[in-house]
Amino acid sequence: MDLYPIANAESVVAQAREGDAAALEALFRAFEVPVYNLARRICRTTEDAEDVVQETFFEVCRSIGRYRQDGSLWGWIRTIAASKALMRLRRNKYRDADELHDEVMEHKREDTALRMDLEAALERLGETSRAVVWLHDVEGYTHDEIATMMGKTASFSKSQLARAHVRLRLWLGEEALG
Amino acid sequence: MTHLTMEQLLALREPGVEPGTAGQRAHLEQCDTCRLERDRLEQRAARLRALPTLRPPRDQWPRVAARVNTVRRQRRIRWMTAGAMALAASLALALLVRRPAPAPSAAAPAEQLSSLQQRSRALEAAIGAYGADARVLDGRTSRVAADLEDRIAEVDQQLERTELAAPPGMGGADLMQLWQERVGLLDALVDVHVTRASNIGL
Repeated sequence: MDLYPIANAESVVAQAREGDAAALEALFRAFEVPVYNLARRICRTTEDAEDVVQETFFEVCRSIGRYRQDGSLWGWIRTIAASKALMRLRRNKYRDADELHDEVMEHKREDTALRMDLEAALERLGETSRAVVWLHDVEGYTHDEIATMMGKTASFSKSQLARAHVRLRLWLGEEALG
Repeated sequence: MTHLTMEQLLALREPGVEPGTAGQRAHLEQCDTCRLERDRLEQRAARLRALPTLRPPRDQWPRVAARVNTVRRQRRIRWMTAGAMALAASLALALLVRRPAPAPSAAAPAEQLSSLQQRSRALEAAIGAYGADARVLDGRTSRVAADLEDRIAEVDQQLERTELAAPPGMGGADLMQLWQERVGLLDALVDVHVTRASNIGL
């Protein structure tokens, strides 16, 4: 069952395929919030997340003809959104010419000995780690799927997730046991 | 006692049983510390899933719609331009077809030859402008066109051999015959494309 059901989904999709503007807007209205939420959890800024929303729905309007009705509509749109958000991260990294940004920032943050809430801790993670945590633990993607979207290996995704959880544990004040 | 690492705890959460993890599972069953760590991990993931949904601060639909409309407009213009070009090329081909081929006349052989060569060039240019290579043909038309093109290639080889073999100004009759054949084949090829164009209403 779709997490975000849309009324008359089949007929809306059929009309959207014909280029019907009202149907395309109906798709946008049905999924704009979950797409923005996913984008904002992965991207660094509100502006980046808004750009991802635009790029995602432009792609949806362009390629709705390729959507196979047997799959989940939200699943299809979510994969487009996740790919666009990861693409935005990569682009920002190149733009900043700072490949070690995540590493450096996370080391700085580890020195900050304060207990913070989960929202703030998530925000403090490096972009790649945060993206992996969100896609795996919240959106339910497998490491193989994340690896494909990121152009990395499943081992990379696994180690990023482990590293992120070690840091979240520390920042949330949950002392390591044993 | 060595406890499980975060990576090992995470691996044990994954669906399916990874080979070589039996020992880790056994340890987890017996070790309170690792089970507590695993429970914390589960709780953290559950809390992440329960974080409030962030909502977009601005309506993005007008921008998406504007971009979609721009692309559609550009695509329409491209199609209209392509359609107009195809129509113009078809008309040009049709005019060439309707113009009679130069009949054998009393003109000097050199002039006749030059006239045939000119017409050959004009037909080739028209086929090139029509973009015949990039157009989709049905199976039968495609075979006829390919056959004509093969025969033109054969004539070209014969022309090359004849021109090389004959001293300058000689071999006139053979050359004339080959050029006439070439023009005839090109005429037929043009005919194939014009017929196809009129069939699909261009």
